[in-house]
Amino acid sequence: MSKTATALDVTSLTKVFHERGTKDVKAVDNVSFQVRQGEVLGLLGPNGAGKTTTIKCILGLIRPNAGGILVFGENVEEHYPRMLKNMSAVLEGSRNLYWRLTVWENILFFSGLHGVTSRDDKAHFEHLIRLFSLEDKRNVEVRKLSQGMKQKTSVACALARRTPLVFLDEPTLGLDVETSLELRAVLKQLATEENRTIIVSSHNMDVIQDVCQRVIILSQGRVVADNYVSDLVNLFKTKAYRITLHEPVSEGLEESLTSRFKGATLTSDGTIAEINVNLLENDDIYVLMDILRDAGAIIDRISHEETDLEKAFLEIVRRERNNNESR
Amino acid sequence: MNLASVFVTVIRRDWAMLKRYIVNTVSTLVSIYLIFLLIFLGLKSLSGYAATGALEGSMEGTVIGFFVWTFTIMGFSELAWGLISEAQTGTLEQLYLTPCGFKWVCGCTMISSLVLQSIPVFILLFIMMATTGQWLNLDFISLIPLLLITVLGAYGFGFALGGLALIFKRIQAIFQIFQFVFVGFLVIPQRVPWAKFLPLSLGNSLIYDVMVDGLRLWELPIGSILTALAVGVFYLVIGVIIFSYCENIARDRGLLGHY
Repeated sequence: MSKTATALDVTSLTKVFHERGTKDVKAVDNVSFQVRQGEVLGLLGPNGAGKTTTIKCILGLIRPNAGGILVFGENVEEHYPRMLKNMSAVLEGSRNLYWRLTVWENILFFSGLHGVTSRDDKAHFEHLIRLFSLEDKRNVEVRKLSQGMKQKTSVACALARRTPLVFLDEPTLGLDVETSLELRAVLKQLATEENRTIIVSSHNMDVIQDVCQRVIILSQGRVVADNYVSDLVNLFKTKAYRITLHEPVSEGLEESLTSRFKGATLTSDGTIAEINVNLLENDDIYVLMDILRDAGAIIDRISHEETDLEKAFLEIVRRERNNNESR
Repeated sequence: MNLASVFVTVIRRDWAMLKRYIVNTVSTLVSIYLIFLLIFLGLKSLSGYAATGALEGSMEGTVIGFFVWTFTIMGFSELAWGLISEAQTGTLEQLYLTPCGFKWVCGCTMISSLVLQSIPVFILLFIMMATTGQWLNLDFISLIPLLLITVLGAYGFGFALGGLALIFKRIQAIFQIFQFVFVGFLVIPQRVPWAKFLPLSLGNSLIYDVMVDGLRLWELPIGSILTALAVGVFYLVIGVIIFSYCENIARDRGLLGHY
C-alpha cells in the first residue's frame, strides 16, 4: 500500500440520538473527512462536539443514521466485524484494562483477540513495554499502577494489536505534564517508525499541536475546520501585545486606543496601567506607538503573545457559535 | 480470524482471573455447599417418612439436582454477570472490537467458564456424595455429553440476559430470579407431559439415569437424547437471537460504553 493511500474515508456521517420524552440530539451532523495512511490526525472540539461519537461510529460501536465509512477502501458496516482487524482504540483510558491482570497479561489478552500471538508479535510487545518505560511493571497488576502507567498500558494494548489504524480518545486525560510529554513523544515516534494512521481526539491543544499534522475541529456535531495545524495557526495569527505603562496615564488614552484598535483594553491598579491589544494584519505597531507618545505615556514593558492552536481553536468555535446564533 | 486462538486467549485470561479471585470462587462453592447441607439435614430429619419409603430416591435426586444446577449456574452466570462487570470496568467496548465478533467472544467466555469451573464443581459433587453417603455412578463418557446437552438451554438464557444487560446494565435482580427458575426446571417430574420441553429438565432426568441407575449413554432412549439436544439447541438459538436484537438496540442507542 502506498504512503498516500486513503486509510479512512468518512462521508456525510450523521448520528441522531432519540430519547423518549426529550428532544432528539444530533450528535454528529453530516461529517465528512479523509485520512491518508501514515497521517496523524487530531480531532478537536468542546464537550459534546461529537468527537467520541464520530470515533465510535467508525469503530462500529454506535450505528450511524446515515453516511458511509470506508477503511482502506472497504465499507465498515458491510464487512463488520471482520473490518476490525484494521482498527484498535483507546476509548476511556485506563478503563480499557482488566485491573486484576498484569500489564503483560493485558497486552497478551487484547492482542490475542486480534489473533496477534506469534513470537515476532511478542518481540513487538516487549518493544512497546520498553518504549513506554513499563519494564519494571511488566508483571504488576494494573490496579497497582499509577494513573499515568495505566494510561500508557492502555495505549500499549491498543498498539500491540498491530492494526494500521489506531484511535486514541483523550489519551492524555488525567496525566501529569511529564507523563503527557512522554506519551506524546512515544506517539510521534510510533507514527514515524511504523507508518500507522493515528487519530487522536483530545481537549488538550498542546497534545494535538505537538502530535498531529492535521486537525479537524468539530463543533455541535459539525466539521468547522479541517486543515494542517500550522495553516490554522497562521490563519488566526494576530499580533497580540501587552504594554505596561507607568501611571499616571492621560484621560484620553483609552478612547484613542479603542477608537483605533477594536477590542483594545486599558486597565490600571493605580501604580501601573496595562494595555492589551490585538493588531490585525493591516494594523501597524507604529500607529500604536504614536498614540502612546501623543498621550505622553511612559512605557515600562512590551510583551508579544504568539498565536497558538488554542487561540485558533477558540476563535473558530466562537465564530461558529456566533454564526449559529445569528441564523 | 482463528476462533481457537480467541478461545485460548479467553481461557488464559479466565485462568489468571480465577487465581486472583480464588477466595470468591471458594466462598461461592462453600455457600452452595451450605445450602445443600441445610436441605440434606432437613431431609434427614424427616427420617420417619424415609423409613416408610416415601423419600426413596430423594437424596440422590437432590445431589444430582444440586450438581447440575451448580454446573449450569457457573457457566450461565459468567456471561450475564460478566457483561455487567465488563461494562462497569470499561472493557466491554474493547471486547466488542474483536474481529471475530462479539458473540463469539461471549461464546468462548461461556465455554471457558464451563471448562474451568467443572473442576471445583466435581470436587463439590464428591463432598456432597461424602456428606450424604450416596456414592453415585460417575461414568464420564456418558455424563459429559449429557451435561453439555443439558446446559445448552441454560446458556440460551445466559445469552438472552446478557443481551438485556447490554441495554439495561443493572439486571442482577432478574438474574437472581432465574437461578430459582432453574431449580424449578430441575425438580419438575418427567411425568408432566410438557416437562421435557423445558430447559434442563429432560437432560437432568437422563443424568439421573446414568448416575443412579448406572445406564450408559448408548443404553438411554435415543429419542430422549435427541429431544434433550433439540430443546437445548432451541433455547440457545432463541437466546442468541435475543442477544443479537439487544446488541443492535445497544449500538443504535450508543449504550455499549455506558455502565
